[in-house]
Amino acid sequence: MAYKPQYGPGSTVVAENRRKYMNPGYKLETIRDVTDEDIVLVMGHRAPGSAYPTAHPPLAEQGEPDCPIRKIVTPTEGAKAGDRVRYIQFADSMYNAPSQPYLRSYLEAYRFRGVDPGTLSGRQIVECRERDLEKYAKELVNTELFDPARVGIRGATVHGHSLRLDEDGMMFDMLQRCVLDKKDGVVKYVKNQIGEALDREVKVGKPMDEKWLKAHTTIYHAVVGTAYRDDAEALEYIQRIHALRTKYGFMPKE
Amino acid sequence: MKDAIYPQVRVAPERLLNPETVEQLLNRLAANPGIRRILLKGQSIPATVPYGPARGAVNPHSRRQTIRVLGEEIQLHTHVGMIDMELETDEVLPAIRAACEEVFTKFTFRIQQGRFMKTKPTVSDYAKYGPNADEILLGLVDPKSRKGPVILQGYR
Repeated sequence: MAYKPQYGPGSTVVAENRRKYMNPGYKLETIRDVTDEDIVLVMGHRAPGSAYPTAHPPLAEQGEPDCPIRKIVTPTEGAKAGDRVRYIQFADSMYNAPSQPYLRSYLEAYRFRGVDPGTLSGRQIVECRERDLEKYAKELVNTELFDPARVGIRGATVHGHSLRLDEDGMMFDMLQRCVLDKKDGVVKYVKNQIGEALDREVKVGKPMDEKWLKAHTTIYHAVVGTAYRDDAEALEYIQRIHALRTKYGFMPKE
Repeated sequence: MKDAIYPQVRVAPERLLNPETVEQLLNRLAANPGIRRILLKGQSIPATVPYGPARGAVNPHSRRQTIRVLGEEIQLHTHVGMIDMELETDEVLPAIRAACEEVFTKFTFRIQQGRFMKTKPTVSDYAKYGPNADEILLGLVDPKSRKGPVILQGYR
């Protein structure tokens, strides 16, 4: 019988969302339409429309050594062209953000090729070749993995994940890269991910409502969302892992 | 009254506060003569980007504003999240609660009682203010900052 991954334990909507987002067979719902140019502007690695700077000559030109692994693995478009490695980093609020750092790394490893995800407590960075990154970043921003108010694209000074929200529901950002326009209710990026002012605003859509966030979040939260203690299956699993690890520490002999 | 222990309270709202909300609340609180000291706490909002590739760039931020309390201008350096106060007596508590209820209409808040302010000078305080520091200034401002506290003289 072919192996069928289970992705993770849990019987609540949070666990179900985690499994859905990790599963590459599940098509993520597209919610907004941020253009390629806008993504490039917010990331700030190159000017929109300019050529991709390269780190090495294209693979076809540089003459690959005779290597069996290179014959098996097809290079990504970015690797083939010799692009630089660049990054996008997200900070996710613990107040029912749709994604969270660990999940992001899992889902990127399952869904994307040639990526190097890095997980930290309140933020997550993913590095890869520039043109691949733009394609992946677009998917991470335009789908249900993103919310304009509870998720921030932040290259540096990322603090905000564990803080109370602003009065208007936005996550704290020391550099205020994005602002909620009170007139039309749309979140606009006014700075790129490292905090440099943009020549024009980049609209990323309206923040999702509380009901939607609660139904799409992947973070347990006892006060504003689903409590971890309410997830009997996840709790049983984590207790089993904890017990087995502890017993193994004593090297039990059968 | 050197050894007197004044009661202290902390107002902890559910959300981080906009400068306009802070201004409204402070104007209600500071007019009360039963409050000796008020300390605004929150996440720092620097004037320039402190680190990263854009270090040194200007950091325009709508929460870093100048507010006006009892005629005095106060430059906010933080996104205010907590308001600690030292009171003359506990009798001021109902007035504080009433002011909070008046201002925090869209979200909840909590008023805690305890010790929230510095009671003894630290080494940094000693280096800045010397051995005879005025105890009322301790803990109101970061001793390493060049800014001093704002003194409101509206009611005395």
